[in-house]
Amino acid sequence: MAKKKRIIYTNRPWEATGICSGCRLCELYCSLQANGTFNPYRSRVRVVEMATGIDIPVTCQQCQDPACQAACEFDAIVFDPKLKIVVVSEENCTSCQACVGACPYGIITMDPVSNKAIKCDLCGDSEPACVEICPSRVLGALDDLAAAEFNRRRAAALLAIDDELLRARPGGEDPVMKKLEKKG
Amino acid sequence: MKSAKNCYAGKILRIDLTSGSINSEALEDDLVGPLIGGRGIASKILYDEVPPEIEPFDPENLLIFAPGALHGTGVPAASRTTLTCRSPLTHMHGDGHSGAQWGGELKRAGYDVLVIKGRAQKPVTLIIDDDRVELADADRLWGMLTSRTHTALRDETNIADLQTVCIGPAGENRVRLSAVFHNGADKGVNARCGMGAVMGAKNLKAIATRGTGDIGVVDIESLKAAYKEYVEIINTDPHPVGGTRYGTCRFMYHRVQFGIHGAENWNYGAYPWEKLDPEIFRSDYQIKAGSCVACPIRCRRDYRVVSGPFAGTTAKVEWETIARSLTCGIKEPEGVIAWANICNHYGLDIEGTGDTVAFAMECFENGIITAKDTDGLSLRFGDTEAFLEITRRIAMREGDLADTLAEGTKRAAETIGAGSERFAMHVKGGEMTAGDPRGMPVRAVSYATSTRGSDHLRSNPYIEEIMKPEEALKWWGSEEAADIAKGLKGKGRMLKFSEDLVTIGDILGLCKFAFYRSATFPWLYQKGVTLATRFYNACSGRNLSEEEMLLTGERVWNIEKAYNTRCGASRADDTIPQRFFKEALKGGGPSGGTVVDREKFEAILNEYYEDRKFDPQTGLQTRAGLERLGLNDVADDLAARGKLFGN
Repeated sequence: MAKKKRIIYTNRPWEATGICSGCRLCELYCSLQANGTFNPYRSRVRVVEMATGIDIPVTCQQCQDPACQAACEFDAIVFDPKLKIVVVSEENCTSCQACVGACPYGIITMDPVSNKAIKCDLCGDSEPACVEICPSRVLGALDDLAAAEFNRRRAAALLAIDDELLRARPGGEDPVMKKLEKKG
Repeated sequence: MKSAKNCYAGKILRIDLTSGSINSEALEDDLVGPLIGGRGIASKILYDEVPPEIEPFDPENLLIFAPGALHGTGVPAASRTTLTCRSPLTHMHGDGHSGAQWGGELKRAGYDVLVIKGRAQKPVTLIIDDDRVELADADRLWGMLTSRTHTALRDETNIADLQTVCIGPAGENRVRLSAVFHNGADKGVNARCGMGAVMGAKNLKAIATRGTGDIGVVDIESLKAAYKEYVEIINTDPHPVGGTRYGTCRFMYHRVQFGIHGAENWNYGAYPWEKLDPEIFRSDYQIKAGSCVACPIRCRRDYRVVSGPFAGTTAKVEWETIARSLTCGIKEPEGVIAWANICNHYGLDIEGTGDTVAFAMECFENGIITAKDTDGLSLRFGDTEAFLEITRRIAMREGDLADTLAEGTKRAAETIGAGSERFAMHVKGGEMTAGDPRGMPVRAVSYATSTRGSDHLRSNPYIEEIMKPEEALKWWGSEEAADIAKGLKGKGRMLKFSEDLVTIGDILGLCKFAFYRSATFPWLYQKGVTLATRFYNACSGRNLSEEEMLLTGERVWNIEKAYNTRCGASRADDTIPQRFFKEALKGGGPSGGTVVDREKFEAILNEYYEDRKFDPQTGLQTRAGLERLGLNDVADDLAARGKLFGN
């Protein structure tokens, strides 16, 4: 039995070509796979342009207990036993957008042409189009264990920023710790 | 929302800023059929609607935005959008091509071409949000740098993915060296030919666009098959691999190999370049390997200065940024990056500005311009502070000297006089670009014949460097054509072919680095002609042959040539600055001591004219040559103006 997978930003920041280049080929080929046309607004993976030189691909994390599914009152977000993820049933979708509001990643969204909810379905049985096309090879369809390797680094990255900020503060005083100490 | 049958949106959007009218019309088959898209359609609209009686800054001049026919699809490196107008710099055909996402948004909103005419009473922004097209007040944006304009528009509209084009203060001030910028300072730029000034003259500060419709593709399987073949080539061909590693900075090694820097206003072929080594840029300044939309090559580079007085400065830097810095004698990456930052934020064209500053520097070194004129600025080659300050002043037209320089090299030399004309390095008013042509005669001719003033992207003369003698014999009838310095026969034919070849790229919206540069000629042909045609057929549903594709390039070239003839150009204008003929290249190195041999130059030009079916004596086009391309209307128009050979 195949394991559940999700698309992960498998960056290698120590390589100049190991970071999302911002080419958006993933968006174009995702929409081609889904609809047979090119349209980044219908893509299930979106590249977010943060600043000059910082582009980050974001897509569905295939949550264990999906907020989108919980928010849907019309059984339009259903569990696919074969893929072990939830997928959108276009038939049932009433375009109410409750799932869009519920998603913590802002990644389930409305298709501007069909006006139905869209989310990553890992391209069903075939190799995900975004993974296949990415010239920098920074998108991967990983199972839970492999994804954990990257998620762990993400968590560490957040703490590393924290360390950096604390180090930069003159005197080394940390207002958060101070607050906590006062409470105690 | 538009339907999505093929790669065309099917409409032309026309805006008249004087009356505020907004109209759309069908993109007719008589434009698409023979001209395909992008630069092809834009050049024809300019020819038909902007006769030479209309001056560049007149409201009747047009700004024609035309994304390449394949822009917005997933064809690799189909990222280019053409902007065409009558150029205030050359007074002839003007266009520029940028790699950014805006053109795709325009097509997704439903328009293949955007034609802007007239002049608004006061600053306006054009907003195209799918079916909603309107003009909005831009008083608040006027005066803003390109970067600020972009973020202000995103803030105002609250659309995070909004794609914009805008001008900076340079365009507003009608600096003839200004450009049009996509998404602020660091994305694509429609540069050359001073088109920012035309946008400024129209009081059009920006265009904000979002389009959420589909762009279609007729034959998905053949598109994917061609994509696969394309990737196989770029993974084998060492040329694109170098682009991925270094960005366009890689051309430094080419310039060093041939000793053709053109440093210090095109005086030095070899020059101290060591601190500008691509490897140093890569290890010490590069943020990452970035890319234009849909491009697997990833040669876009943003660099950041980490320490020193310019610490924190970030800018998109292309090879030409470095080359033009060398033209001004700048030898350190910090100076290059800081200068790119100023040009990009104030809205200047790097190439034109760099050459104009170099011209001013040579005048200063020779006492034609003095410290009194520069307001105390020591405008010497290699003085970074002066380099940056004069650039900013040009953008703002601050002071008499900068105001003069803002008119471009040719006009500045005419105003300054006193023998400065011999330091003015331009062709038809367009400043020099790329490498020094001394030691490479066909390169010299290619700068002369370009339809938008001196240009290295208008043709591909470098193919002489990659062709084997037997290939040259097969294609150009002479093995000589593969000999860079000594060869003569076949070079004119090679030039004509390479001009038609890269024109295909601008028509389809394909990047020239990704499609028209390779380490061997077979790869180049496979990508630039065979695959380009297959990509187009797959996306459009048409069935063009490779010959028809090349013929389309030739057709478009002839329209532009006719436009320039109509504006008064003749064979006498198809030349290069006298310096290249008369003064030996300084600094030693592989091309040191050479000049462009005038006899060779003329011989190649003659062969080129013959192959183009132009009259060699006058440079005028012939009826037979034009009718062969189906350009009977152009022939009639030239005849009526007494500009057709034999009429």
